[in-house]
Amino acid sequence: MSDIALGGKAVSDIAASDIVETIPSALIILDRNLNITSANRAFYQTFRTSSSETEGCHIYELGNRQWDIPALRTLLESVIPHRASVEGFEVEHDFPTIGRRTMLVNARKIFRPGNHEGSILLAIEDVSDERAARAESKRNWQLTQSIVDTIRDPLVVLEQDMTIVTASKAFFTIFGITEGEARGLRFSELGQHQWDVPALRHLMEKVLPEDKPIESFEIEDNFPGLGRRVFNLNARKIFQAGNHVTRMLLVFEDITDRKQRERDALSLTNEISHRIKNNLQVIVGLIAYEARSTALPCVQGYNAMQARIGAIAQLYDLISQSSRGAAIAMDAYLREIAKTMSASLLGNASSIKIEVQAEPLDIDPDRAVPFGLLVNELATNAIKHAFPGGTGRVVLSVGQVGDQIELTVADDGVGMKDKDSAKVPEKRGSDYVAIFVRQLGGTITPSESEETGTIVRIRFPILLVPPGGSERVAA
Amino acid sequence: MAVILIVEDDAFTREIAEMMIQDWGHDTLSASDLDEALTLLRSSQHIDALFTDIYLKTAVLGGCELANRAIKLRPNLRVLYTTGNSITDKMKALFAEGTHFLPKPYTQHQLQNSVEDLLAA
Repeated sequence: MSDIALGGKAVSDIAASDIVETIPSALIILDRNLNITSANRAFYQTFRTSSSETEGCHIYELGNRQWDIPALRTLLESVIPHRASVEGFEVEHDFPTIGRRTMLVNARKIFRPGNHEGSILLAIEDVSDERAARAESKRNWQLTQSIVDTIRDPLVVLEQDMTIVTASKAFFTIFGITEGEARGLRFSELGQHQWDVPALRHLMEKVLPEDKPIESFEIEDNFPGLGRRVFNLNARKIFQAGNHVTRMLLVFEDITDRKQRERDALSLTNEISHRIKNNLQVIVGLIAYEARSTALPCVQGYNAMQARIGAIAQLYDLISQSSRGAAIAMDAYLREIAKTMSASLLGNASSIKIEVQAEPLDIDPDRAVPFGLLVNELATNAIKHAFPGGTGRVVLSVGQVGDQIELTVADDGVGMKDKDSAKVPEKRGSDYVAIFVRQLGGTITPSESEETGTIVRIRFPILLVPPGGSERVAA
Repeated sequence: MAVILIVEDDAFTREIAEMMIQDWGHDTLSASDLDEALTLLRSSQHIDALFTDIYLKTAVLGGCELANRAIKLRPNLRVLYTTGNSITDKMKALFAEGTHFLPKPYTQHQLQNSVEDLLAA
């Protein structure tokens, strides 16, 4: 051995016993008869014994024969005589002094000059805590796996490089692969590479480094053995406290049936909407036909009737386009009504403009019809009476005031100051206004008349309490 | 005055549309489906504009197909589509370039405005 400087003292100057005493593993030396010739400090500390109790004692006699262990006997009597060294021989035993322990024993035959019989050096490492931790981890893993296997939706755990670590039974069943085939496979290689979608890959690459979960990424494709399916993918970072390893949990939610139901419902809604609007077209046509042979003063009434039908027709487009169940977006509804009225009552050349200022609020379909007809009625009144000069602006507004919705129809026309009382909004045009306001469960605020312009305000509840019930329903 | 080909599978709606358009001084031709319309379009009959329903009998997007074939036959033909269906992106993608759209139900004023816009374009 060459001399190596260590704290100013050459290694060759350090006694072997100094080194032995500093080693954390328990060491004992046995002679050929298995009597203990020496042991180190770690041995005495680990097994709560002393040199006087140990040295000279037969290994099996040590500590009331607590070392008379069948596994150790096998090592010393059957293995060592035939081999120069043994490593990692595991011995599990219930020691009276220190309880149940798992020991990893390394054994080596050593010979000294002049001693041909040789000795046996045993290095004993207490791995009880490590083994207990490993067993606990295994139990936890089995528990987790058994929970995961009960979940119907396929789950898969991915490494940072997108290779599969493990997955649930549902995953293996759905994708028709075994656990062995899946492990180490890249996610993008699954099936026929259906999951190798650039947008999904981009999102997945952000899950671990940026801790950005994926919520409801929808993918529809033909999957081998499954046919055409629609999956919703959700992913998030997972990690164990005290463990620096982070992985990605990816959950596949099969939404094929739900998607089909939604498509069927949409298709039915569209079909109904199409039929209703074609029937309304026939009614509008009938009115147009009647209007041809009617005296001019009555034509305005027919035109107003057509506009009312148009207001109802707008609803069906909005219902079929609505993504919020049956609720109707009032802002979109108002815009459609304004567009229809402009086209049917004013025309391209008119200097009267209809504008919409609306907050994003919803209304239930039951009240959407009277709401639309009310707007149509008030705006028609404004167009007919407010602008004798043929120029002006009508503003349709909707907004939330407390727990009510306020609809405002305002114009910058001549106002009502000098007008016939029959032209007061709630009386003029029709009594329809009052009827529609009642249908909405609302109240009409007396018109504010300035030097120019008229404002009509109607308030109705956002939420209605159904008769006999305390449950609140959407307006 | 223009000659307008009206393609509509509902007879009443078709005739009312013809009546309205004739009231404004235009001439009309009419067809109830794609084949009848193509027969007229392949003839030597002068036609300025096509006003077609999109849903023609069993052909869900028959009006779109008709318009595309009609423009191939008569590149300068003006087209106005109508339908009672909600307009989808799929439908819009099938609309020929520079064409117009009028949703159902339409009043005579709305049809008049649309036809005027169409012929002025």
